[in-house]
Amino acid sequence: MPHQCTNCGRTFPDGSKEMLSGCPDCGGNKFQFEPSGSTTDDEPAADSSADSSPDASTGESVTIDPEPAETASADRQTSPPETEGFGDDNEAGSAEPAAAAGESPAQSTARSDVVDSSEITAAGAMGPSTESSEASGAPDQPAGQSPPTADQPADGQPTDGQPAEQSTPAAEQSTSEGERSESNLDQLRKELNDQFESIRIVSPGQYELNLMELYDREEYIISLREDGRYVIEVPDSWGDS
Amino acid sequence: MGLITNLKDSISRVTDRLFASAEPKRIGIYGPPNAGKTTLANRIARDWTGDAIGPESHVPHETRRARRKEGVDIERNGRSVTIDIVDTPGVTTKVDYKEFLDHDMEKDDAIRRSREATEGVAEAMHWLREDVDGVIYVLDSTSDPFTQVNTMLIGIIESRELPVLIFANKTDLEESDVQRVADAFPDHETVPLSALEGNNMDEVYDKIAEYFG
Repeated sequence: MPHQCTNCGRTFPDGSKEMLSGCPDCGGNKFQFEPSGSTTDDEPAADSSADSSPDASTGESVTIDPEPAETASADRQTSPPETEGFGDDNEAGSAEPAAAAGESPAQSTARSDVVDSSEITAAGAMGPSTESSEASGAPDQPAGQSPPTADQPADGQPTDGQPAEQSTPAAEQSTSEGERSESNLDQLRKELNDQFESIRIVSPGQYELNLMELYDREEYIISLREDGRYVIEVPDSWGDS
Repeated sequence: MGLITNLKDSISRVTDRLFASAEPKRIGIYGPPNAGKTTLANRIARDWTGDAIGPESHVPHETRRARRKEGVDIERNGRSVTIDIVDTPGVTTKVDYKEFLDHDMEKDDAIRRSREATEGVAEAMHWLREDVDGVIYVLDSTSDPFTQVNTMLIGIIESRELPVLIFANKTDLEESDVQRVADAFPDHETVPLSALEGNNMDEVYDKIAEYFG
């Protein structure tokens, strides 16, 4: 359960809309994010002791993005449409396995795009796997929720940018489709980054920030963890609806 | 009738007081890392309150949390202007722990500092959206002002229609080029200064009072 209320500990699946109006149990509006496989209930809380948990396969940059479109897009003038908008563009999206209820597959893929398991494992070992953020090819991802999504080349839709990102050691990817349009996928990946990420963890200690996205978002990032976990504070107004 | 008149009077007194004692303007000190924001914040705070705001350092990202000094009274030309100063972490699009390794820092510390700096940028951007009434944008006048970060931040500030002053800092250094800063942002007033040496602070305070008073 990737999201957890920091007040009462209630957990929510990735993409859950319940949290948008505050925790239904206690009304808390601070949540921490814990990337994990969809079926695993790993450590309940995001204390830093779990920093290098290999289970955090979907470890990613900080997309404070439960479902921003509902509340945040209204006042967003400068950035492209969020989750829903992308989903609209993404016409071939039907073949995606549902990553989590209520979450666009494009979104989950985009988010899983960022830090792969090798980087997360390296968070403990401190092997800055790459200079270029691209080539961290780590085929050993456990079957978390997002990697399978990304590994579906068959649907041929843009979200399989994942294979392209990991293409350098592409041996374990079924890249028959992925190779077809690497440059397009690179471009797409950049677009996804632009759209979804406010902070991208390139490797431990190396970050890229999307200032406009940070500015546009109502949520406020309180703390980062090296494995892609983060704590955000959502605006009080989200609980008013 | 008398009752209503009294009521009217008291309402008008309350509203008068509300408008007369308007909240102090919250002025965010923004800019890229190592532009001298904290040095300036400390200079202002020391000049008018006697206290500093935070530690200064030549190591980038020394300021990793926004720091606030409230109720700074600046007196100019017989009137007093009260502002709250918010010293923010330097805004950048990339934070890399390796840049700290040159400053005799262990790798673990550098990585932690990098993470904190990134959180600081997020915080600074959040404050810009939520919580400032005006901006002092500090630039190192020895550096090229035409950067993506500067352009983007000034653009955001303009889009919010916040009053903004550009401070071309570090004029005590030989390579300082104030004109280059002024040329980069011709729509805004550029004030040269050395926060470290305290040069041209009179004009600095004049402009602060003029823009944010």
